[in-house]
Amino acid sequence: MSGHLKLGSAGEDFACRKLEEMGYEIISRNERFKAGEIDIVAMESGELAFVEVRTRSIGVMSPPEATVGPRKLRKLVKCGQIYVENTGWEGPWRVDIAAITVDKKGSMKFELFKDVTVGLVEL
Amino acid sequence: MRPVIGVTLHGVEARKVEVEVEITGGLFSISIVGLPDTAVREAKERVRAALRSVGLNVRGRVAINLAPADLPKEGALLDLPMAVGIAVAMGEAKPPERAILMGELALDGRVRKARGVVPAAVLALKERFKIFVPKENIGEVSLVKGVEAYAVESLGELLAHLRGDMALKRVEEYQETGELPKADPDLSEIKGHTQAKRALEIAAAGHHNVFMIGSPGSGKTMLAKALRGILPPLSDQEAMDVLLIKSTLGLPPGNIRERPFRIVHHTASTVAVCGGGPNLRPGEISLAHRGVLFLDEFTEFRRELVEALRQPLEDGAIVVSRASGSVSYPARVLLVAACNPCPCGYLGDPIRQCRCSASAIERYQRKISGPIVDRMDLYVSVPRLSPQELVSINPADSTDSATVRQRVIKARTLQLARWEKWGYSCNAEVPEKILRKHLSLSGDALTFLEKMAGKLQLTGRGITRILRVARTIADLDGSSDVGIGHLSEALAYRKGASMLWMS
Repeated sequence: MSGHLKLGSAGEDFACRKLEEMGYEIISRNERFKAGEIDIVAMESGELAFVEVRTRSIGVMSPPEATVGPRKLRKLVKCGQIYVENTGWEGPWRVDIAAITVDKKGSMKFELFKDVTVGLVEL
Repeated sequence: MRPVIGVTLHGVEARKVEVEVEITGGLFSISIVGLPDTAVREAKERVRAALRSVGLNVRGRVAINLAPADLPKEGALLDLPMAVGIAVAMGEAKPPERAILMGELALDGRVRKARGVVPAAVLALKERFKIFVPKENIGEVSLVKGVEAYAVESLGELLAHLRGDMALKRVEEYQETGELPKADPDLSEIKGHTQAKRALEIAAAGHHNVFMIGSPGSGKTMLAKALRGILPPLSDQEAMDVLLIKSTLGLPPGNIRERPFRIVHHTASTVAVCGGGPNLRPGEISLAHRGVLFLDEFTEFRRELVEALRQPLEDGAIVVSRASGSVSYPARVLLVAACNPCPCGYLGDPIRQCRCSASAIERYQRKISGPIVDRMDLYVSVPRLSPQELVSINPADSTDSATVRQRVIKARTLQLARWEKWGYSCNAEVPEKILRKHLSLSGDALTFLEKMAGKLQLTGRGITRILRVARTIADLDGSSDVGIGHLSEALAYRKGASMLWMS
C-alpha cells in the first residue's frame, strides 16, 4: 500500500476510536456503492451519521476539512440515500466530516464537523 | 392534527393561513409549499436558528404546507407560526387553540416587529380568535377594541405559554386621551386671506377638494397646512380605516384621532401615490384616506399621475391590478392642490409684471386637464398681501383654529344625522342620486342654478359638486334648506375654475 493510502486508513482507525469515545456506535465501515464510498456509518442519539474521514499531514496548504467540496458532498448525500434505502432506515440521518491532522512526529489531531450539508446540498 | 394559524395580507385585509408541518426521517431539509414569496422561503433559516436557540434541534425532512395553496403568502410575519408548527410536530408544544400567531423571528429567538398587526387583529376579532403579536406592536394591537391579544417577546416565551408553564399577560386596551395636536399654523396667525380661510372651513366641513392658485410667496402652502388644525377628529370607524392602512405599511399609529395629512412632492411616481409595486402596497393617496392629500406645485406633477387620480377622487377607493393580483385600497381624500397662475408666477399680480408669453401661459395652464378641473370643488385665488399687511405687527384679526374646528364639527354632526341611514358621513361622499333627493333645495335657488348652469357651461358632475358644496355651506349656517345665498357662494368658488386664470 502506498504512503497516502496508509495514512488514510490509519486516520480512519483513529477516527473510529475517537467517535466511539464520543458516544457514536459504529455500524459499518467502508460501505462501497457505484456512486462512491462511505467511510464510517455510525449511530448517534437516534440519528444515523455518515462520517467522511479526511486525513492530512501537517504542512499541506489546506486543512483536511476544506478538501471536501460541493461535488463530494453531493456524492456523500447520494451514497447516504442509497444506504438508507437498502437498509430501510426511516429516521433522520446526516453527514459528518472527521478532519484529522498528522504532525511530523506522527501524533494525530481530531476534529469533528457535524451535519455539514445544511444549506449546501438541496435534495 | 390541529394546524397552527398565521395570516398574510391582501390589500388592507388579513387572510388566514393554516400552517401544516410534517416531519419525516432523512437528511435535514425544510421545504415550504403554498406560494411563498422570497421572505417566506428564507424563513427556514430564521426558524431553524430560533428553534435551536430555545433548545430544539430540528432533524429530518420538514415539509411545511401553507394553506390555502392558491393564495400568495408574503412577508416575514409567518415565521412565528411556522416555528410553532415545527415545535408542535416535534411534540414539544401543544398547538394553540383558536389563535392567530404572527411575527418575524430573529436568529436568537426574539420576535421582531411585523407589518399588518391591525388587519390581523381585526380578523381575530371577527373570528373570535386570540392573537399573539410581537411585543413591539403592542401599541397598535391595543387600539383594536375587544380583541384578546397577547404580546410575545421571544419564541421561548410563547412555547412556554403553549406548554402551560407560563401564562402570558393579556394586552390591555388603549385608554384614549381624546386630545388633538395643536394647530400649526393657527388660522388666527395668518393675516388676510379671508376668502381662502372661508374656503378651507367649507372644505373641512364637507370634505371638499380645494384648488389654490396664487403667486409665489402668497401663502398657499401655509394655508394648506392650517387645514390640519380645523379638521374634525376621526370617528371610531374612520380611525380604524386609517389605522388599517398605516399598519399594512408598518407605520406607527400616532395620534389615532388626528386626520392624516400627506404632502406629496411633485417628483413622486404614480406607484408611490396610487399604490402598487411588486408586492402591492398602498400609496400616498390611501395613506391620506379620511384626511388631506396635499399636492403642492400641482402643474409640475407628471400628467400621468394627475390623470391617475381621477378615478379614486370620484370613487373614494383605488383598485390596483398587477400580475400578482388585484386589490382595492380606500382613498377618500380631501385633495388640496396648489399652483402658480403662470410659469413666472406673477400673472394677475397687482404689482409685479408677468413676463410670460401668451403661448407659455397657455401651455402651463393646459397641464391641468378638464377632468381634473371638474373634480375640484372650491377654487380659491390666493393673492399676495400688500406690504402694509405683511409688515404690520398687529395680530391677524380672525377666529382661531379651535373655534373654526368647533363650527366644522357641528356641520359634520348635521351631515352625519342626514346621511347616516345610507352609510355616509359627509356631503362629499354622498352619491348623486341620494344627494339630489334629500338636498332640500329651495325653489328660487333651483331657478338660479338652472340659469347659471347654462352660463358657466357646467357638466352634470360639476352641478352635483356645486350642490354638495352648497349643502355644506348651509350646514355650516345651521340651515336645513339650501337657499339662494348658499348656492351663490358655492357657485362663486366654482366660477374660479374658468375665471381665475384671467383675474
